[in-house]
Amino acid sequence: MSIQSRNNVQILGEGSVTMLFAHGFGCDLSMWRNFAPSFASRYRTVVFDLVGGGQSDLSAYNRTKYGSLSGYADDVIEIIEECAKGPTIYVGHSVSTMIGMLAAIQRPDLFLANVMIGPSPSFIDDGDYSGGFSREDIDELLGALDSNYLGWSSTMAPAIMGSPEQPELADELTNSFFRTDPEIARHFARVTFLADHRGDLSSVTTPTLIVQSSDDLLAPLSVGEYMHRNIAGSSLSIVANVGHCPHLSAPGPSKEAAEAFLGTLGY
Amino acid sequence: MDSPRLSLVAVADAYAHAVCGLLTTTTDGTIVRVNATFCRWSGYSADELLDRRRVQDLLTIGGKVFHQTHLAPLLQIQRSVAEVKLDVRRRDGRKIPMLINAARYVHNGIDYDDFAFVVVTDRHKYEHELLLARQKAEAALEAQKAAEDALRLADRRKDEFLATLAHEIRNPLAPLRTVIEVFRRKQFTDPQVLWSRDVLERQVTQIARLVEDLLEVSRIAEGKLEIRAASVNLATIAREAVETSRSIIDASSHNLAISLPDEPLVVSADPMRLSQVIQNLLNNAAKYTPAGGSIWLNVCREVDEAVIKVRDTGIGIAPDHLSSIFQIFSQISAGLPHSQGGLGIGLSLVKALVERHGGTVAVQSAGTGHGSEFTVRLPVENVLGTSNSVPPCAATQHRAQRIVIIDDNEDTVTSLAMLLDLDGHETRTALDGLTGLAVVKEFVPETVILDIGLPGLDGYEVAVRIRETAPPEMTLIALTGWAQQHDMDSAISAGFDFHLTKPVDYAKLVAILARSLTKEG
Repeated sequence: MSIQSRNNVQILGEGSVTMLFAHGFGCDLSMWRNFAPSFASRYRTVVFDLVGGGQSDLSAYNRTKYGSLSGYADDVIEIIEECAKGPTIYVGHSVSTMIGMLAAIQRPDLFLANVMIGPSPSFIDDGDYSGGFSREDIDELLGALDSNYLGWSSTMAPAIMGSPEQPELADELTNSFFRTDPEIARHFARVTFLADHRGDLSSVTTPTLIVQSSDDLLAPLSVGEYMHRNIAGSSLSIVANVGHCPHLSAPGPSKEAAEAFLGTLGY
Repeated sequence: MDSPRLSLVAVADAYAHAVCGLLTTTTDGTIVRVNATFCRWSGYSADELLDRRRVQDLLTIGGKVFHQTHLAPLLQIQRSVAEVKLDVRRRDGRKIPMLINAARYVHNGIDYDDFAFVVVTDRHKYEHELLLARQKAEAALEAQKAAEDALRLADRRKDEFLATLAHEIRNPLAPLRTVIEVFRRKQFTDPQVLWSRDVLERQVTQIARLVEDLLEVSRIAEGKLEIRAASVNLATIAREAVETSRSIIDASSHNLAISLPDEPLVVSADPMRLSQVIQNLLNNAAKYTPAGGSIWLNVCREVDEAVIKVRDTGIGIAPDHLSSIFQIFSQISAGLPHSQGGLGIGLSLVKALVERHGGTVAVQSAGTGHGSEFTVRLPVENVLGTSNSVPPCAATQHRAQRIVIIDDNEDTVTSLAMLLDLDGHETRTALDGLTGLAVVKEFVPETVILDIGLPGLDGYEVAVRIRETAPPEMTLIALTGWAQQHDMDSAISAGFDFHLTKPVDYAKLVAILARSLTKEG
């Protein structure tokens, strides 16, 4: 099994620097369709599916390896070694921001910069730390996921009911959105929402941009500020957006934030 | 007569009191239309909802996250979502499980989302049961996995134990074999002593063979068995195997009939392993055939297969044991009398080796007391080239040498020195590396036989130090109980000329000593 087919790696653009896009929980590489193409003229833009999501090879899913985010981080390193040219700018969303951070801590030599969209090192409140959720909230969320993944086949992969206004959405990418194996999705949800990587923030040496939505239930402002305080030399950019997917719902401001940050680095 | 349709309530009333809760929201979730059914279920008045609350505000925190990560993006991308089940939090705080369908549509150029809610209390209970059952099943699966892991670990420990045991037995065998060689060179005349020596030799050979088989089985279990395939003539290999097994067959006064093909029958095989297969089958036949029996070895070609058959007039195999005969330890459970039973290592080794050569092995027996027939089938290599089997050893030259033996096993050192002395060589010995280095420096031998597993300074280090100062023509022979390829490679890179595995095959050592003469020349 090649890394390329394992992670459904797709290369969109060419350049002497690689920009690698990693999607978040419950998504797949199509989440980048409003975001990644505008970088394709300057960078070797590479998108991929986390193992277990999208069109990745589900047979590669191993509960032990992917029982923590470091298993995904190992995959990111392999993808960079296999598919990148030159140094890599990593753009991660949601849980993939932590995956990219772990990969960069392990192999700082591979990473030029890390753009984190909607990151959270830990979702659960703990003492002075406000992650946005109590443990009960997270259990409730996991229960909601359990409940909906139970009836997965009808819930998450409905027949596309036609969207004449946006025919381009009725393509395969749309169809693959959320088409995850329910068992994998349940496991990944636990790994994602119970992870705690606050202790790793101080080990980051890669230049980091935190793109924070102004109103994001999953990653409240306090989390973005905590990240910014704890990652030495990081930049924080707050974009006006409701929800957890500013790169999808507010691609313009998110792109501007990324461009400005990369500009300060000289790329 | 009036159509029943004429007495229907107005559409607006039907909407208001539909059997499901209906909502319309803007794309950010703000409620802009709601029916009375939903208000009744949720406990909110329409005024409290319209323009004042978003649909996600009515969900639990878990539901809010699900909305943000699943529902909202799905609506945006697919413009429809079906059968999402979430709890709706009533105005009084109670949670009601609901099933939600939603679709996005455009009206006057603006996107709206329509939601339909259905209360699913019973389905919720049912799902809860299902989830509990699944949790139990998952826990059972985890327990099973843990048990399997424990079994695998135990199995690996067993393999490791067997490998270690074999190595441990191999070490004391080395001096025993050498002592027997010493006896051979002494002119004993007492028939009892001669008989005793022969018994000793046969039994030690038997133990050595068992230990070798055990090691091979361990290597296979650990996936370390190496097959060095070459194009070999099967008849040549069969002859060599017969030579090796001859003493065992003769000891029980069996009659061996051999039939080999006249034409070369070339197979791609590791000559040593293939010979081992045939030897094991012959030894097995000899062992399980009462004295004075008959054994047939038949090698022939059948279409594209080379076929080796070993048949005997032995004790045979009961039909219900035929299928398990190739499993290790199978003969313990086969209920054979103790004197005839064994560990079943030989046959399991045969099967593993044959399969590694891309072949098959099968057994036939008409039952207990009716003899057995083992058939090995290997793919024939259709090449015109001649066999490049191991060339025969050159005639042994003999010249006295100065030899230093370094090994921490005193019996090994002393017996080997005694044997070499008997052959006219001059020897010195040492039991550790540092002493060895001093002896080599002072004695300046032509050959050094050096154990690898020495205490303190190991054999590799000693070899490196010897090479630093000794004349280049000095021959270094490594002696180890471990015989993996990487051991041999390490030995060569440490400066050894040859590598021998314990127990030392004296004939091989003699051949090396003769060859080292050529090196000097």
